[in-house]
Amino acid sequence: MSEYPIKVVIGKPGLDGHDRGAKVVARSLVEAGMEVVYLGLRQTPESIVAAAIDEDADAVGLSVLSGAHMTHFKRVRELMVDQGLGDRLLTGGGIIPTKDQETLTALGVGKLFGPGDDPGTIAEYIRDWVRTHPRMEAK
Amino acid sequence: MAQFQKTSALSHGIDLTPALWKSFLAGQRQACARLITKVENEPDSIAEVREKLAGRIGKAVRIGLTGPPGVGKSTLSSAIALGLANRDHRVGVIAVDPSSPFTGGAFMGDRIRMENLVGDSRIYMRSLASREGHGGLSPATPHVADVIEAFGMDRILIETVGVGQAELDVLDCTDMVVLILQPSTGDAIQSLKAGIIEIADIIVVNKSDLPGTDTVLQSLRFVYSLGGSNRRPAPPIIATSCQQNEGIDKLVDEIEGAAATLIESGRHEELRRRRIVNEIRSGIQRRLWERYIAESDVERTIERVARDLVQNGESPYAFVRDACSRIELKSRPKEA
Ligand SMILES: Nc1nc2c(ncn2[C@@H]2O[C@H](COP(=O)(O)OP(=O)(O)O)[C@@H](O)[C@H]2O)c(=O)[nH]1
Ligand SMILES: [Mg+2]
Repeated sequence: MSEYPIKVVIGKPGLDGHDRGAKVVARSLVEAGMEVVYLGLRQTPESIVAAAIDEDADAVGLSVLSGAHMTHFKRVRELMVDQGLGDRLLTGGGIIPTKDQETLTALGVGKLFGPGDDPGTIAEYIRDWVRTHPRMEAK
Repeated sequence: MAQFQKTSALSHGIDLTPALWKSFLAGQRQACARLITKVENEPDSIAEVREKLAGRIGKAVRIGLTGPPGVGKSTLSSAIALGLANRDHRVGVIAVDPSSPFTGGAFMGDRIRMENLVGDSRIYMRSLASREGHGGLSPATPHVADVIEAFGMDRILIETVGVGQAELDVLDCTDMVVLILQPSTGDAIQSLKAGIIEIADIIVVNKSDLPGTDTVLQSLRFVYSLGGSNRRPAPPIIATSCQQNEGIDKLVDEIEGAAATLIESGRHEELRRRRIVNEIRSGIQRRLWERYIAESDVERTIERVARDLVQNGESPYAFVRDACSRIELKSRPKEA
């Protein structure tokens, strides 16, 4: 069996204006050997999930700095589950209080990272998660 | 494939289950996405997938869009895809971006300019990293195009950065090539590789909202007025602005005109025939090589021979001749 890179779709939902953080993370994932499809600013949960479907992403990453993380992560997760991507990782970054992380974890969202976290640990987390969660193909 | 035995490599395979195939035929994008991943990641599965796709491919027109970075290839691909969809086509879009030869990773930003395509059921867009295509196209590109065509798309756009190997690769797997330039390419036209300028079927000067457009159009017309001994008639040269939505309709007209000519003249079928010849050739090469390698301890022998050759400065061809003379073809292939 040949080997191939992990594929990640990264987007920034909502209207807040800059994507420097998301780009830094995207670049660090590329350096860690991943194929990153970068969607850019002002995405909707629907557009992010639609892209993740066509790209057959192993993981979806959201950058939410506006404080609206509860709404966005929850909505994206719902859409992923509804549209057959329930077996893929949803992760991302923002300023996320522990309580919110717990609520989101209960909804099936993965670990979320803050501005102080080393992008290298994000790559490591995605890699470990994807390796230990093979896709569940319909039989 | 040592290149991808890298930190983020995976090796889970995808089973081509009846359920997956059924959802593919029912038009489920998730299934199409999985099948594309399969041909991309598992070269050994291509024969199996290709057999399944038989009868569903061969009619689509495959259009290469190439040009220097930043000229607006993705923006324009998006506009063309919508234009074609509005003329009752179903459109596949493949954007190929380079993989890092060091990490195996790739940054694929084409979707930033293709927002309008998302959620449009008439269009299927996929980003591909060039992987072991070494600066050119991913070797999986034609197979990905096959899957997308079998999914029901009759126009397939393939965007590649038009430098080096990629511009040659794109010729091999498309029916026509659109070369995209921009006003600031002005002086660069003289230095553009002869190949692509001669082979492009349509030339676009995008960003015609920027100053310098007329100068580029003039130099392009000049280049083509010089003619070439073996060049077909000069290609149409079209100015477009994605920003002002100008020239796009005209460009789509030209593409559709060229597509119609390709089909009516029989050239489309001829190109397809050539691609199949290449597919057969590389399929045989691959299978024979695999058998040759499998049946003996030949890989180690080759290593040893190479070491000797380096030492005594001899050519490797005596070994090649000897190796080939040992491969006996038991019979000639049957005519189909
Ligand atoms: N002024 C102007 N900018 C454009 C036009 N088309 C694309 N661009 C911009 O050119 C940049 C590169 O576009 P992109 O489609 O990503 O180029 P690619 O690298 O060739 O795929 C982006 O900032 C686009 O918004 C145009 O017609 N006019
Ligand atoms: Mg592009």
